[in-house]
Formats: sequence, C-alpha cells, structure tokens
Amino acid sequence: MIRLSPSLLVAGTLLTSLAVHAQTTETEGSRNMLERAGVATQAQTANAVPPYRDALDGLTIDTEGTNYQFERSSLDALKIHDPIEGFNRRVYRFNGQFDEYVYLPVVDAYEWATPRFVRTGVSNVFANLADVPNLANSLAQGKLKKGARTTARLLFNTTLGVLGLFDVAKAMGLPQESEDFGQTLGFYGVPTGPYLVLPLLGPSTLRDTAGKAVDWSIEDAAAYLDNRRYMNQHPWSYGLYAVNLRYINGFRYGSLDSPFEYDQVRYFYIKLRELQIRR
Amino acid sequence: MNRYLLFCLILFPLLGNLAQADDNFTYPVDNAFLATIAGTPSALAAPVPAEGDVRQTDLAVTVIPERYLPPVLSRYRQLHYRLAWQDKPAPLVFLIAGTGSGYSSPNLDYLKRVFWQAGMHVIVLSSPTNHDFIAAASRSGLPGLGLSDARDLHTAMSIAAEHARNKKGLEITEYRLAGFSLGALNAAFVAHLDEELQQFDFTRTLLLNPPVDLYASINRLDALARTQIDGVSSGNSFFEHIFEKLARHFESGITDIESSLFADIQRSDNALTDPELAMLIGAVFRFAAADLNFMADLITEGGLYSPPHEELRVSTSLTPYLRRALFCDFGCYLETQLWPVWSSNKKGKTMEDMAWETSLYSIEPFLRTNPDIAVLTNADDFILTEENYHFLADTFGERAFLYPRGGHGGNLRHRDVVLQMLKFMGGNAQ
Repeated sequence: MIRLSPSLLVAGTLLTSLAVHAQTTETEGSRNMLERAGVATQAQTANAVPPYRDALDGLTIDTEGTNYQFERSSLDALKIHDPIEGFNRRVYRFNGQFDEYVYLPVVDAYEWATPRFVRTGVSNVFANLADVPNLANSLAQGKLKKGARTTARLLFNTTLGVLGLFDVAKAMGLPQESEDFGQTLGFYGVPTGPYLVLPLLGPSTLRDTAGKAVDWSIEDAAAYLDNRRYMNQHPWSYGLYAVNLRYINGFRYGSLDSPFEYDQVRYFYIKLRELQIRR
Repeated sequence: MNRYLLFCLILFPLLGNLAQADDNFTYPVDNAFLATIAGTPSALAAPVPAEGDVRQTDLAVTVIPERYLPPVLSRYRQLHYRLAWQDKPAPLVFLIAGTGSGYSSPNLDYLKRVFWQAGMHVIVLSSPTNHDFIAAASRSGLPGLGLSDARDLHTAMSIAAEHARNKKGLEITEYRLAGFSLGALNAAFVAHLDEELQQFDFTRTLLLNPPVDLYASINRLDALARTQIDGVSSGNSFFEHIFEKLARHFESGITDIESSLFADIQRSDNALTDPELAMLIGAVFRFAAADLNFMADLITEGGLYSPPHEELRVSTSLTPYLRRALFCDFGCYLETQLWPVWSSNKKGKTMEDMAWETSLYSIEPFLRTNPDIAVLTNADDFILTEENYHFLADTFGERAFLYPRGGHGGNLRHRDVVLQMLKFMGGNAQ
C-alpha cells in the first residue's frame, strides 16, 4: 500500500468514480465570485433551449443482454488467489480502524502543527533515502537509463538539495521513479503468490512482502548518509517516518464507497503492481 | 500520419469556430461521455478553497436505533455525513449525492466548497441508494421510490441538522437544498414533502442534472454497460482490454503514473474510444447497482444474495455475494426487489404507475409554480430522453439553466455554471 496507494487511488477513482478531477483549484480571487455573479450574463435561458443531443445514438447496444461482457469481465476480475481471505479481511478492518482512531488523527495533528514546507522537507528526506533501493532495483532489472536518472537524483538531491531536504532533481525534470524488489522479482517472472493484507502496511502479496524485506535490508546495508545509525540514536525519527508514510498516502478507508471495498482494493492492488512492473 | 495531422490542424479551428458561432459557453468537451469522466479543465474551473482550508468534519448520527446490522457492516449502524460550517449565523444547504455516491464523493466535495465559500453552512448526505444510507437511514431498506426516499431523507436531515447544531454550535438562518443526479430528484421530492410538513421551508432548491423519469434514466444507464466494444470479443475481458491500453500507455515511457492520468491517456494513441468510455460509465453504475442489490436484500432479509439468517462476520468473504449481485442491474433491482413489495398492496397497478410516482412528472405543478426551485442540466446529459429534456425546459421556464455541453455533470466546475448556481442559491444571505 505504502508507496503505491496514491496511484491505486488514481486508478481506483478512474474505474469506480465518474468524477475524476485531478487538479485542485486555488482560492485566489474567489471572494469576488458572488459580486461577479451579479453582473455575469446568464448563460442560457428557456428562451434559447440548446438542442437535445442523444449520446447513446452512436453506440451499439446489446439489447438482449446475452453478451455478458460486463459480467464476464467482472467475474474474471474477482479471480485472485487469496487463500487466507478471512485473516486478510480481519487485518483490513483492523487497519481501517487503526487509521480512524490513531493514524489519521496523528497525521492531522502533524499537519496542524507544522507548516507545509517542513512536511515537504520531511517527505523529501525519506524519499531521497528510498532512492537507494530504487537505484539498486533499477540496476538489478538492467534498466540502466532509469538507474542513471536515479543516480543523478541521489547526487543532486543529496548535495544541492541539502541531504535530500529539497527535491531539486524533480525541478530539473527528474521525478522519482520507484523500483522495489517486488517489482524486480515480478520483472523476472516470479508470480505474485497469495494476496496478503499486512498489519498497518496494507495490501500486498507474498512476493511483494518478501521484496519489502529485501528493500529494507538494502537500505540497511547501503547505510546511505549513515541514516540507520542516526535513526537508531534518535528513535523519534522512526515515528516521523511512520507519520510521513501516512501523510504522503492519499488513500482513505471507505473512499471506494462500497460494501465490497476489500474486493475492489484487492483487484486494483494486483493490477497496479502489474502496471508498475511493466513500466 | 502527416496527412492526418494536417487534417486535424484544419479541422480543429473549424470546429472551434462552429462552437463559437453556436453559443458563448466556453466548456470545451463536446463528447458527453468524455465530459462526464474528465470534468472541467482546471483553467476553466471556478476557484474554490483547498479541502484543507475548509472548516469541516465528518459526523455520524443514529437514525434508526432498532436496526440490526451484522459485524461486517457495523460501520454503517450510524449515518455518516459531512459538515462544513461558518462561525457566524448563516443559511444551511443540504447537498444530496447521486446514485451510488456517498457524502464524500469528489463532485459533492467541490459543490460543498462552492457553497461554503459563499458563506453557507453545508451538510452533505449520501444518496438514499448508497449502501451506507440504506443500512443506516432507509426505513424500508428498499430505495428507489420518490416519496419514501424523501421521507427517509427528511428525517435524516432533521436529525443531522439538530446534531450539527449541538455539536458545533451552528446558527442557522434559513434552509436551502441542492442535489446532484438522482440526488436532485430526491431534492425535488424533499422540497415537495416539506411544503406539506413546513419544517425547513427551503428558500432555495437547486436540481443539478436530475433524471426526470427515474426508471427511464435507469434503462439508459443499464444500456451503457451493454455497449458493444470493438476488440472485446466473447471470452475477452473488458477490464483487461482497458488495462492493456493503460499498460501500453505507460510502457511508452514519458508519463508519470501519479499525474493527471486520464487527460494524458486521452491525448495519446491509446485514447479510450466512445464505446469504451460509455462502457466504463456503465460499469461504474453496475457496481453501484451491485452494492444496492446486495444491501437492500440484506436489510430486507430477502435471501437473494446473502443467506438471511447467517451472521456475516468481519472475516466472512463477501466475494460470492458480489459475484451474484453483479448480474443484477438497476432494472433487475426494480423487478426483483422493489416491484414485488410495492405492488403487493396496490392491486391493479402497473410498473408504469410505480415509475410515474417516482418521476418529476408527478410533481409537475409544484415545480412549475414554485419560484424558489431551479434546474441546471445539459442538452447532452445521457440520463435524459429528449422528452425528459424538453419537460425540464418547459416546466422550469426561466429557472431552467440549460447548457449545450457537459454530459452528466461534467461541466459542474465550469466558471459560468458555478456563477449561475451561486446566483440562484446565494439568495438572501448576500
């Protein structure tokens, strides 16, 4: 779930909600809106009824309903290997409640107590550290160009970006490109294995869970910027790590707005990992 | 390729000119399905505050204390709603979501910010057809009837407004009402009911993209999910087909998976076709229909999907029930769940009678004569038949704000449209 979920949410909303509006608009000048409303010319009135257009006209519709295109596709999407589903569903519920009563309130307090540039700085520092496994996995998959871009990111962000506090590389046109060991395994054809919901971390599979463990050991072994020693000396930094993890993740339990949310998240997780592996 | 490019270069300005000549509405998307999914380009959208800057919270109230829900659905014992409030006396707007949408859906969040910014308190409620509302606030457990949905909503509104007043010290000067899609039809029936009950005395009611004849609209939505698509023959999966397009798009490199995915794809070689867009919309509604079928059956203990006397635990897999519910569209819901109950105490009545009672036709005199109720919709809103569309134009007269493009709610964020909404809804507060 961790790094994946913002994109999971994007695909999720694409497929489950009609209202995909990625861009948020700004407050600027909005107070004048009503004043302008007073003088704005009314766009259309009954005097000028725009002619009706039937969007269904151009479609070929199976009136008999014997094609079962939707049903077949949906049933197919539900075929996901989930042998410990009962356990997974319990953990899913636990994660949702932990989110509601602990995790999100803490994130809210964090947002309340810190200015945005501090939070962005924190996210950038941890993202910079994560570029170490990103690099290792790009190289492990023979993606040399991607590896070179990530190397450049590490160099620029660690030096010009003051130990990763600023994502200067992104401003230079080098956005972060995530590659984890789960993706590397997938790249070499390792199947996902059973679906798993991890406590606190969310949706995963056996393959991706193993991959995560490897990624953590890579970070350990690389000891980039001596971060592990520093973090061990200052245990609060693990707390900050956890809070940042949730802060950068836009997923909210209940946002898929269905009693079948578990099934939908499971499908989107598997599909998004496939997408990431193919990139 | 070059010839194609040249063709586009010539054609596009030409189309632009035609559109200019036709009307002065700057919303650019001419395709109703694309408009519905892609919405309004941010450059043309009315500015609203960021979500984080709105004084708001999610609250929950108990509407039906005696309702029993199994552990897996325990979250829905209370009705959740979203409140955005002012710290001074202000009008309260109730916003009602559309088919299968909850109080937190993106369109509703946008509308909430529009009205909040204009100085109103806002309470956002889930659609009576949404699973949470069925569980927590639908007396019959069978939504889809104009009057009984209005009663459920009216009760929920009273309780929520009182709750918000107690919790946040809301000072309410007057009440207003707005709804989107099916929520707009609900709003019309609530306003009509309240005229009898005289509790809220709504000073404004705004219907955004309402159906006119709910069951006609349902047929049209059900049809979308049966759209035939080139390249999806028998044995192929539609979702895999779309997924392949996405994957090819990402494999082409350059794109950022986190950025404006949809706009990006539509500009590429892997752009979704018209039938694919229609099918996507249809599929979304089919999943909403599955939720509705499952939840209504569960509450009424009908035993169509989940066994009536079996306890659904947190660990119980709901997948088998979803598999079954996926086969039943909105039309099927009417036939298998709503009609048998409705007709059982109405001898000699037909399905057409049931449809008529849940259409805006049935409250036409109220809509025609009430100066405080308005409608806003589009000439290419695909939930409307031509007859429905002209009924709106004719019944509401000058209070019908009709736009030539926008599909089903795709232009709701457009500057002109938002100005029009505020011009009507602003009312006495300003």
